[in-house]
Amino acid sequence: MQANRRQIFAALLAATAARKLTAADGVTIPGKRPLILHNDRPEDLETPVRYLNTWITPVDAFFVRQHIPRPPVIDPAAYRLTINGMVSKESRITLADLQKLPQHTVPATLECTGNGRAFFTPKLPGIQWGRGGVGNAEWTGPRLSDVLKLAGVDTTAKFLEIDGADSGVLQTPDFVRCMPMEKAMHPATLLALKMNGETPDIHGFPARLIVPGWDGTSWVKWVIRLTPAAKESGGFFMNPGYRYPKYALPPGTPARPAELEVIEGMPVKSSLTSPEDQSKIPLAPTVIRGFAWAGENAIERVEVSTDGGSKWQNAQLSTQKLPFAWRLFSLNWTPREPGYYTILSRATDTAGRVQPIVPAWNPSGYLWNGIDKVGVTVEKV
Amino acid sequence: MRTALTLLAFTVAAFAADQATLDKGMKEEQRTCIPCHSLRIIHSNRLSRAGWNKELDKMAGWGTKYSDREAILEYLVANFGDDKPVAPPELTTDGTVKK
Repeated sequence: MQANRRQIFAALLAATAARKLTAADGVTIPGKRPLILHNDRPEDLETPVRYLNTWITPVDAFFVRQHIPRPPVIDPAAYRLTINGMVSKESRITLADLQKLPQHTVPATLECTGNGRAFFTPKLPGIQWGRGGVGNAEWTGPRLSDVLKLAGVDTTAKFLEIDGADSGVLQTPDFVRCMPMEKAMHPATLLALKMNGETPDIHGFPARLIVPGWDGTSWVKWVIRLTPAAKESGGFFMNPGYRYPKYALPPGTPARPAELEVIEGMPVKSSLTSPEDQSKIPLAPTVIRGFAWAGENAIERVEVSTDGGSKWQNAQLSTQKLPFAWRLFSLNWTPREPGYYTILSRATDTAGRVQPIVPAWNPSGYLWNGIDKVGVTVEKV
Repeated sequence: MRTALTLLAFTVAAFAADQATLDKGMKEEQRTCIPCHSLRIIHSNRLSRAGWNKELDKMAGWGTKYSDREAILEYLVANFGDDKPVAPPELTTDGTVKK
């Protein structure tokens, strides 16, 4: 019996050692505040919601999502953008050429397509994003339409293929995306040269795509090639990657590939930032805060409940009612007595879309936009 | 009593064999996964056996060559199965501090 116990004990020790391998070992990302570490190579970092209480998310707090390793830092002087395919003159554009074009600034919310994946049941493979795979920034650069005109884009082209400088390891696919020319030529679609006035390499500069209202995957970083084309092109990150079922599926079941569609505009959504989930607050007046956004639409209304959804109140919204960018909301709240409270937020957009109670489960865990919910314990001081 | 002891011996033997497989699986994970990405992205997931199987297939499709696929699968299911509690979030240290 003794020997058996020893054997079991040794096995348990080995299992503990296995777990230790994954323990924190002080990963630091230069230029970034402490962020939730989903992965360090390549970097996948989530913003804790307490940093999301301002309209503009500072670069040092902005989330990071990378599918494949970052390319070597691009020397601005050596940067070249190839424009080929359905154009009158194949071109290699310099950063100076892009800087000479009229510069526009678009405030827009960038959200990872899989933000909120961790909330789905059954669980799904991929980065287990909570609320913070999202941020709102001011993006500045030439319109993508003006860039394409430099090469004499053929107006009959229906799609635009975009290649980033990041490429896969072994046979991991190259990061290439494709979008309808209509969205590429939209005046708010930019080839950004700046993010909040900065040029952070980790966010895809010297040049990254800004596709306001569309999922983060469309916002290709380190853009080095634009190819107008007649037909939609493929690649893993277009198919089977980043597709969503046309018809809702029973949770946990696979989709028929033919019934999966490319994700474009994002749904309506709100997230609570304060008080934080499962925190304790004193029995005193407090402010409930959060942000809400709606893809290509603007936010019309955010309602908040402090009693699990029996009664709802309209929250106050920040003044800027813009498409593409989030609005901050707040509600003054004085809890009457101590105890545990379930706070909910529900957004409605200018097109009348309302955040659902139960978002549709889907096999890749995209587009979570369920009514947000935090629990808070109010204590007598 | 004797039956109980025999059963126990079998259980222990099975457990020990399993542990050897798990150890092999852990080594196999380090050998095959680390060349492309760190292990956090794996260890933060909680998937069923079928789910891990699918992930292993996906990675094989992208060039990963397993020498002991069974061992790595057993290791993943045993440590990061969908019955296991979710790991608490880990924060990076402050990278804005100028040194």
